[in-house]
Amino acid sequence: MREGTRSAFVWISVSVLLLLATCFAVCGTAPTSHDVRPGYGVSEIRWLSDYLPALEGTPGDTPIYVLRGGEPGGALLLLGGTHANEIAGIMAATLFVERATVTRGTVYVIPHANNSASRYNSGVFNAMTPEWFELTNAAGELRRFRYGDRRTHPEDQEPDPDVFVHHPSGLELDGDEARNLNRNHPGLPDGTLTQQISYALFTLVNEEEVDILVDMHESSLTGRLANTLVSHPRAVDIAAFAVLDLELDGIALKQEVSSEEFFGLSHREFGDRTAALAFLIESANPGQEASIENPDVVNDPRSPLADRVQLQLRTIEAILANHALLEGTTRAISFTLPFALTDLHGGNLGMFMR
Amino acid sequence: MKRRKAIGATLLVMLGAFGAFAAAQGDEVQTGSLTFAQPVLITSIGQSAGAAQARVVAIKAGIDAAYTQRATLEELEGFATLIVVLGASSKGLGAAGVNIDGEIAWATDLLGKARELGILVIAMHIEGGARRGPSSDEIITTFAPYADYLIVKGSMPDVQWTADESANGNADGLFTTIAAENEIPIAYIDATLGAVDVLIELFGIPPTED
Repeated sequence: MREGTRSAFVWISVSVLLLLATCFAVCGTAPTSHDVRPGYGVSEIRWLSDYLPALEGTPGDTPIYVLRGGEPGGALLLLGGTHANEIAGIMAATLFVERATVTRGTVYVIPHANNSASRYNSGVFNAMTPEWFELTNAAGELRRFRYGDRRTHPEDQEPDPDVFVHHPSGLELDGDEARNLNRNHPGLPDGTLTQQISYALFTLVNEEEVDILVDMHESSLTGRLANTLVSHPRAVDIAAFAVLDLELDGIALKQEVSSEEFFGLSHREFGDRTAALAFLIESANPGQEASIENPDVVNDPRSPLADRVQLQLRTIEAILANHALLEGTTRAISFTLPFALTDLHGGNLGMFMR
Repeated sequence: MKRRKAIGATLLVMLGAFGAFAAAQGDEVQTGSLTFAQPVLITSIGQSAGAAQARVVAIKAGIDAAYTQRATLEELEGFATLIVVLGASSKGLGAAGVNIDGEIAWATDLLGKARELGILVIAMHIEGGARRGPSSDEIITTFAPYADYLIVKGSMPDVQWTADESANGNADGLFTTIAAENEIPIAYIDATLGAVDVLIELFGIPPTED
């Protein structure tokens, strides 16, 4: 596609999305809209409801950005916003949509996997976290992004049960976990909104023959999972290679493997139930540390957002490189950015965005 | 290469301290009365992902190594060296369906069988401070003394640790103490892949052309 035509296509798509978002807003059942500005690398924009029509027009619907490479290869699904308060994953996905070019294979990016959770912030880990945070781009423009919640908005789903029973394992969890997307996999087509979101993601992974799924999360600064790469047992070798490569590059990541007795999590369920190799990355978010007063979720020097986004994207890069190394190049996936990911370290994230 | 030289120097110092010497003989290195040879079996005590990382290390070192996350006693047959990676993971123990007591009972049998079969044991702790804590320390203090050789990602005595503090598995000198009390040679590495050079030295892997 010629550059001008592609550019026009992308901007028309964005306009249509905005129009649809406005329409939904008027109708009162809008999927929350976000400031995501697709770059030239985006070939197509879909909705999650393309994979489960029941989601159309609900707060659980969310855009899917498709970036196709010039060379054939495998398929990668990047999930940000499974927990909408874990903003490094959302911003890594957003930056990818805005600036990445896929050179091999196809990348599906969902910056707001649980879009319902992005429309409020209950302060689940820290009541002083903001509802919005701001970044300034290179043009000096202030961009605003939502700091959402861990769970689906209570208004968007039936009241929580006393005990949430995970389908299909029967595992019993606290009632509010019925609204936690990362406890609801593999979902149900006619279940709760959270279960439907999960089901649509599974349909996407199966229909698009996704090879690698990366679910981007955050923990507290001091939590056990801070700076960790979790993988399904089928992906443990790729994870080990990635962790060791990153360590040599100065990024210290712990490595964990999915528990076999805890169900509903993305790395466990996608790994068990689809052909995809499933990973989950955890960076460390000061907003999830209960003891910090007025946490600065962007600039806290202990774990600034730009560094967390760098960790997410460099881990993805290392996973892809070692997937190609260990699994062969037929289903390889690769991407480029117009800047070195190391430049994000200590940088101003907004300056890298559109 | 600089790191490799540093590790080599560390090895020689430590081996010298314990009255041993290193001399490459084909695909073996003799360290005093010890001879590390292939094939190698890698397994985990504590069921952390460190054993998978040790497998990567072995591959990069060019060592003929099999990897079983939780080896059975029968699987020890035919191996010359056992590498155990120490470090407890609640996820990993859960995945294996055991608790820490069950893990210690199994590992005691495993290392006893290895001794019975004349298999030498290299114990590695390569996941840093993340694998230090009550459960990990119980595993370390129970099984590190069984080892014929220790490889630890962490600070050497009297040497300032310059890497990420969370990566230091020997900040309190636990491994140094165990090595001294049990007269076990020990190599300190500052990154997990530093163990590649240690294994190359121990197993006398000939250099490959780039």
